Amino acid sequence: MATKIIDEYQAMMEAYEKSGGNVGEFENPNVPSIVISGNKVLGKNEVKGLIIEPTPTKDGVDVKITVKSGTKILYPMALCFGVIPKEGVQIINMEAVIEDNAGMNAISHCVFPNAEHIVHKMNYKIHIGKNSFFRYQEIHFHGEKGGVEVVPYTEGSVGENSLFVSTFTLKEGRVGKLDIKYDVDVMKKGKLELYSKVWAKGKDTVRIEEKGNLRGEESKALIKSRVVLQDEARSKVYSTVNGYAPYARGHVDCTEIVQDSAVAEAVPVVGVTNHLAKITHEAAIGSIDSKELETLESRGLSEEEAIKVVVGGLLK
Amino acid sequence: MDAILEVKNLSLIKSGKEIIKDFNISIERYSTSAVIGINGAGKSSLAYVLMGLKGYKPDKGRIYFDGKDITELSITERAQLGITLAWQTPSLFEGLTVKDYIQIGAKDKSLSIVKDALERVALDPSVYLHRIVDKSLSGGERKKVELAAVFAMHPKLAILDEPDSGVDTISVEKVMQLIKDFKKMGSTVLLITHRDRVAEIADKAFLMCAGQIIQQGAPKDVTAFFKNECTECNHKGMPVIKKELMKEEVK
Repeated sequence: MATKIIDEYQAMMEAYEKSGGNVGEFENPNVPSIVISGNKVLGKNEVKGLIIEPTPTKDGVDVKITVKSGTKILYPMALCFGVIPKEGVQIINMEAVIEDNAGMNAISHCVFPNAEHIVHKMNYKIHIGKNSFFRYQEIHFHGEKGGVEVVPYTEGSVGENSLFVSTFTLKEGRVGKLDIKYDVDVMKKGKLELYSKVWAKGKDTVRIEEKGNLRGEESKALIKSRVVLQDEARSKVYSTVNGYAPYARGHVDCTEIVQDSAVAEAVPVVGVTNHLAKITHEAAIGSIDSKELETLESRGLSEEEAIKVVVGGLLK
Repeated sequence: MDAILEVKNLSLIKSGKEIIKDFNISIERYSTSAVIGINGAGKSSLAYVLMGLKGYKPDKGRIYFDGKDITELSITERAQLGITLAWQTPSLFEGLTVKDYIQIGAKDKSLSIVKDALERVALDPSVYLHRIVDKSLSGGERKKVELAAVFAMHPKLAILDEPDSGVDTISVEKVMQLIKDFKKMGSTVLLITHRDRVAEIADKAFLMCAGQIIQQGAPKDVTAFFKNECTECNHKGMPVIKKELMKEEVK
């Protein structure tokens, strides 16, 4: 049994490394971390002012992370979630509470290297107090078979004068089926930044639904999506910013690159219920700009190499 | 004359209009040549035809580079032979750093080459190396990055399309020096410009009007002709010029 767990941990670490993570982080006592494979917590490291409370469930783990008031966590927290077998379900219910005058950066790697039929659901509840920050980066690493269904839903609130930045990246391996949802309230002078970067191939499907609600005076939001589609991939991106308060400022920026027989749809929605709020948007769907490609070709790159450079930059 | 580039009887028709008409030019190796002319004369189209852009395949004529017929070659193949183009309005690239952009075409991708190229266009490497080649750069900064990238390639033939456009007056001197440095480095330069000042650093100038070369010779003579005669031109597809001013070789 113990050998099996060590093997599973080893497999998770290998996938973590392939997804760009540094496995040394899990051995560093100064770096807060958690490793969850399926519904098993394989490792956990707390640091002063940070409490990690995992509770295994039938199909996953419920995790509460609390950054205590007045604590700024020095090193980014390393999170590793995943399923090593070809098939399985993992449901992570994560509540992150960043108390007042506190802050943390976190990098989460979600790894499914052998996926043929895996469902990975993440339900986040984010509560950020006053004068605090939480920067969360989620990087996915999937196998090449496209058998993953990824469903990350985030609800949250950003307190007065606080910051929440969330970056979702899925550009290694096949996407499978992706369904992202954000719904975040932003209070007075609070700031929200949501970034999604996805490269879909084959018959992958992508749905991104992001909503920022600017409820406090002088609150701000930026929702930026970059989706590259090739083969027969499909995507729908719905980005919404609502300005409910005076001097709220928001911007939606969506770019989708479509190649082959892929199909993309983008719906930027901007709403204002206070005449002193201002929300703007831009959206572009199309093939890669031929002038960009020709510029790179005039430096000696082939068309295929030029496409990789353009797409790589867009998803960086 | 040891010509690195020869264009023979070239024609380009776009949307039913002959943009370049029975065009002939010969560019001497290691020289700096300037093609001047008013807006719409066909100068940039000529640059695109020489670079091999997809919408600029000639309808007639041949292009020879280093003695080889390159008329049917792709942009990539031409670039790999040593031809490149500094674009008049360079593209923006989200997520790509200045350093990466310059290194893409550079044969020697060392940091010292990248820094040297940036310094030559008055861009401080400590400030610009990690900037992104996107809309956060001003038009002038982007233009200078473009010239630096082309310089770092050490091309055999550098086609510089309006190299000073959008560049601030202080940096224009640096750009002029850079053009001279191309020659010192062993590159042949073809300048596309409508400014006398830029054309006058060339060894030879060609005046283009309505898709044709109508005058060639010493830059001072050609720019004087351009200033004095082209302003009277009605530019309706055929240049209106005083025949007595045309040089024998053009006739």
